[in-house]
Amino acid sequence: MGIEGVTESADATLVRRVLAGDTEAYAGLVARYRDRLGRYAVRMLGNQADAEEALQETFIRGYRSLGRCTEPERFGAWLFGILVNRCRTAGAQRARRDRTVIADEAAMARAAVWDESDRHAWRETIRWALGRLAPAHREAFLLKHVEELSYEEMVGLTGASVPALKMRVLRAREELCRLLQEVERA
Amino acid sequence: MRDGDRVVDRVVEMLKEPVRIDPVLDRRVMAELAQVPAPRRTTGIVALTGWLVRKRTIAVSPLGGLAAAAGIALAVLAGRAWVFPTAHHEPALTTTAAVSPGADTRAIQFVVLAPRASSVTLVGDFNDWDETATPMSRAVGNGLWSVTVPLAPGRYRYSFLVDGNRWEPDPEAPRALGDDFGRPNSVVTVGGS
Repeated sequence: MGIEGVTESADATLVRRVLAGDTEAYAGLVARYRDRLGRYAVRMLGNQADAEEALQETFIRGYRSLGRCTEPERFGAWLFGILVNRCRTAGAQRARRDRTVIADEAAMARAAVWDESDRHAWRETIRWALGRLAPAHREAFLLKHVEELSYEEMVGLTGASVPALKMRVLRAREELCRLLQEVERA
Repeated sequence: MRDGDRVVDRVVEMLKEPVRIDPVLDRRVMAELAQVPAPRRTTGIVALTGWLVRKRTIAVSPLGGLAAAAGIALAVLAGRAWVFPTAHHEPALTTTAAVSPGADTRAIQFVVLAPRASSVTLVGDFNDWDETATPMSRAVGNGLWSVTVPLAPGRYRYSFLVDGNRWEPDPEAPRALGDDFGRPNSVVTVGGS
């Protein structure tokens, strides 16, 4: 899993220091995982502001619940599970908030993609297309292809079955292709 | 390679690019943590003791007064293949003994039907999700498990932990929108007086 790695023992040390009363040691964990978790949050929520808010809540909830992190060496994976759920909540809240202003996004994406060689335009187009996916499909796609989790790991994070997750990833791929080809033809 | 695969590969390549989050976030997090109680390892007796001695304000809540509780959350968890206990000792409900009465709290009774369970624990925001702090008591002669918890007005997420390894939401209560640990949770809202 992409979130874990060579920092596991250092993570465990920091977690134990925090639990022993050294609150400042938590800053080391925040710094270590800020960008790594930030990528998923930005991709899932589609903008930096919502992502940073979800990240902040994730780190705070992680701190409050640290006593229940039973495998400190897997702190990163444990915290990532919190983030996935914070992004779900943030996405649902935003869906209610933004329900009336979604209509013009397609036009914005088309306007941004006149020059396909422009990487920024391509990035904006993908952001738009990702935002059009059903949240569960977007979540499954990102976990599988960007975070490179196994389906078994995804089951642990999402609570969905392997067949359901495979179907979500497939649907996400199909929908992304359709949307991006539609934009290219526009 | 199909065109669709090439498109997805290009998408993934871009999505894997690193993202930089403003390090100011670290300071915001650490500033907020200054207001948060220090985390502690939650284990068995220590956690239960901590929950018992922490200062709380409650109205009433002896087990015998369950019927008078202000709110009742009733869950029926039937049809599960739980093992019927061969011997069961009622866990003592002592969590209410160390608390003092207060004006704003309500005694909320949680009831769950789990005839084949050997233990059921109530776990939620109100006990810091401590899996051992709030064991439920089984009524003699049936499969009803219950516990009464003093709660101040507010919104709380909770779940039932059955036999120490199975998380069950309350089917009679609203579901929480999201859960930090991938478990389905329920929500109870306690009104003010």
